[in-house]
Amino acid sequence: MDIQRLKPHLPWITLVVLVAIVGVNDPGFLRPSNLLGIAGDIVPLFIMALGLTFAIYIGGIDLSAQSMANMVTVVASVYLASMGAWVAVLCVMAGFLLGMLSGYVTTRLFVPSFISTLAVGGVAFSIAQWLSGQRALNMDAAQRNETFGWMIGRTWGVPHELLIAAVLVVLCLFIERRTTLGRALKAVGAGELAAAASGLNVARYKILAFAISGALAAIAGLLFAVKLSGGAPTIANGFLLPAIVAVLVGGTPLTGGVGGVANTVVGTLIVAVIRASMLYFEIDATRQQIVFGVVLIVAIALTIDRAKLRTVK
Amino acid sequence: MTRRLSRETLIKWAPLLVLIALVIFFTALNPTFFSLRNFARIAIAAAPALMVAIGVTFIIVMGSIDLSMEGTVSLTAVSFAFIFAQLGGSLAGFGWIAIPLVLVLGGLIGLLNGLVHVKLKIPSFMASLAMGFVGTGAAILLTGGDIVKVGDAAFRGLLTVRWLGFPLMVYVAAFFLFVGWFIQTHTTLGRNFYAVGGGEDLAHASGLNVTRVRVTGFALAGVFYAIAAILVVARIGQAESVTGANFMFVSITSVVVGGVALWGGIGGVWNALVGVLIVNVIDNGMVVIGLPDFLQDGVLGLLVILAVVLSTDRKMVSFVK
Repeated sequence: MDIQRLKPHLPWITLVVLVAIVGVNDPGFLRPSNLLGIAGDIVPLFIMALGLTFAIYIGGIDLSAQSMANMVTVVASVYLASMGAWVAVLCVMAGFLLGMLSGYVTTRLFVPSFISTLAVGGVAFSIAQWLSGQRALNMDAAQRNETFGWMIGRTWGVPHELLIAAVLVVLCLFIERRTTLGRALKAVGAGELAAAASGLNVARYKILAFAISGALAAIAGLLFAVKLSGGAPTIANGFLLPAIVAVLVGGTPLTGGVGGVANTVVGTLIVAVIRASMLYFEIDATRQQIVFGVVLIVAIALTIDRAKLRTVK
Repeated sequence: MTRRLSRETLIKWAPLLVLIALVIFFTALNPTFFSLRNFARIAIAAAPALMVAIGVTFIIVMGSIDLSMEGTVSLTAVSFAFIFAQLGGSLAGFGWIAIPLVLVLGGLIGLLNGLVHVKLKIPSFMASLAMGFVGTGAAILLTGGDIVKVGDAAFRGLLTVRWLGFPLMVYVAAFFLFVGWFIQTHTTLGRNFYAVGGGEDLAHASGLNVTRVRVTGFALAGVFYAIAAILVVARIGQAESVTGANFMFVSITSVVVGGVALWGGIGGVWNALVGVLIVNVIDNGMVVIGLPDFLQDGVLGLLVILAVVLSTDRKMVSFVK
C-alpha cells in the first residue's frame, strides 16, 4: 500500500480508530445521546475552524479568529437590547469587514497574513475592550431566549447547534465545490503564481477568503455568546489552538490547495473525541493544551507539502 | 539616486524620529510625562519586553519568526519560581543557582523549537506557535493554575533598589542589550544571522551550515526569553501560567515598528530598543494624558501594518501568503 495513496484517507481512519479505542474502554461513550452531546458542544469551535479552512486553503492563516469571536460576544451582548435579532447581521458584517481588512492588508500591502491577521486581531481586541468597558457582560435572559433561544436546546435529542453547523457546512461545501469562487480558491491554493498568470484576479479572491473566515469566526462568537448568555473581551480565548488543529488534522495542509470543508468536519470530530477521551482516561484537563500543541506539530509535519516550500522560513 | 538614498535613510531613521516625536507630543499635552519618575516607570515596563524583543530580533533577522515567547516566558517564569523556592528561596543562600538553570532551560526550549522547525521542515511561525502552546500548557501543568509567589527581599531588590532613579532591573536589561549587540556585531554567529536573512540560498551555497545557524538562533532567543521571565518575576513578585500573556503581540509589534524587516537581513538590537520604547511610550503616554488604555492594542495593530508597509520594497515582492 502506497503511503501517498493512503494519505487522503488518514483523517477519517484516525477518527474511526480513536472512536473505537474510546468506545472499547468505555461503552457508554458510544451511546447516541452522548455522541450527539459531544458533537453539539464542539459547534462554536467547529464554525471557527470552518472559517479558518478558507484562510488555510489558500495557503494563508487567520490568527485573528479568536479575537474576532471575542469581539462579537461583546457586540452581541451590548446591542442585543437595542437591535434585537438584527444584532446577528451586525456581528456577521463586522466579522466580514474586519476579515476583508486582513485580506486587503495581506494582498495589496504585501504584509504576510500571520502578521496582518495578528494586527487586525489587536484592533478587534481594542474594540471589544472599548465596547465592554473591560468588563464581562450579561445578556438579558428573557430577551436572549426570545431572540436566539432557537439556537440552543434540543429537538428529539438532537442539539440545535448541530443543525446550525449542518446548514453552514452545506453552504460552505456549495461555495467550495459549486461556485467560481470555490474553484478560484483552489487554484490560488494550488499555485498562486500560476493562478495569477492565468489571468485570475488573485487578490480579490484572497480578500474574499479572509472575509469568509472573519464572518464565520463572528458566527462562532455569536453562538458562543448565546450559549453563555454574555460576552467578554477574552471569553473565547483558548479557541484558536484547537481550531487550527481541527483544520490541519482534518488534512488541509498549511500550504493550502488540498483538503477543504469536508476535511475540517472530520478534523473537528477528531478534536472532539480527543477532548472527550481525555476525560475518560482521566487525563488532567491542564494537560490538554500540551496534547493539542504536540498533535498540531505532528499534524503539520504529516500534511505539509514540502515541494511547495523552496526554503522553509 | 538621491531619491532612493533618501528613502533608505528615512526608513533607517524613521523609528527614532517617531519616538522623539511621541515624547514631544506627550510632554506637550502633559509636562509630567517628561520626568525621571515617569521615565523610570516606562523603563520598568520596557525591561522584560526588551529582552523578548531582542530574542525575537535575531530570529526575524534570519527571515524566520518566533511566536513561542508567551509559552516560553510563562514556563521559564514558573520554573524559576519553583526552583528558587526549592533552593531555599533566597538569593543570599543557594537561590541564585536558579538563575543559570532557568537560562539553560530557556535555551533548551528554544533549541527544541528550532529543531522542530528545521528538522520537521515546518514553517517557523507555525512550529513556534505550537511550541508556545505546549509551553503554556506545561506552565499550567506545573502550577495547576495557581500563583507562585517569590517574596525574597534580595531578589525583589531588582525592582526596589534604585541607582540614579532607575531600578536595578533596568541596568540588567541594559547589560543584556549590550550582550545582544555584541553577539550581533562581533561574533560569527551574529554575522551568520544576517547571511541567512539576506539570502538563504546564497548562504547555503557559500558553505554555511544554515540549519545549525537557525537552531542556534532559536536557542539564543530562548535564553533571552528566560531573562525576560526572571525580570517579570522580579517586577511583579509572582509567577503563573499567564505570566507570558501578551508578550507575543507586544514584542513582534515592537521589533517591526522599530525597523527590523520581516523579510530578514535588515535591522538589529538597536531597532528592537527603539521599537520597545515606542510601544511603551505610547502605552504610558496614553495613560498620562488620560486616554483609555484599551486603545493600545488597536493602535499597535495599525502601527505594525504601517511599519511593514513602509519597510517593504514593493518591487522585490511578487506575492505573500
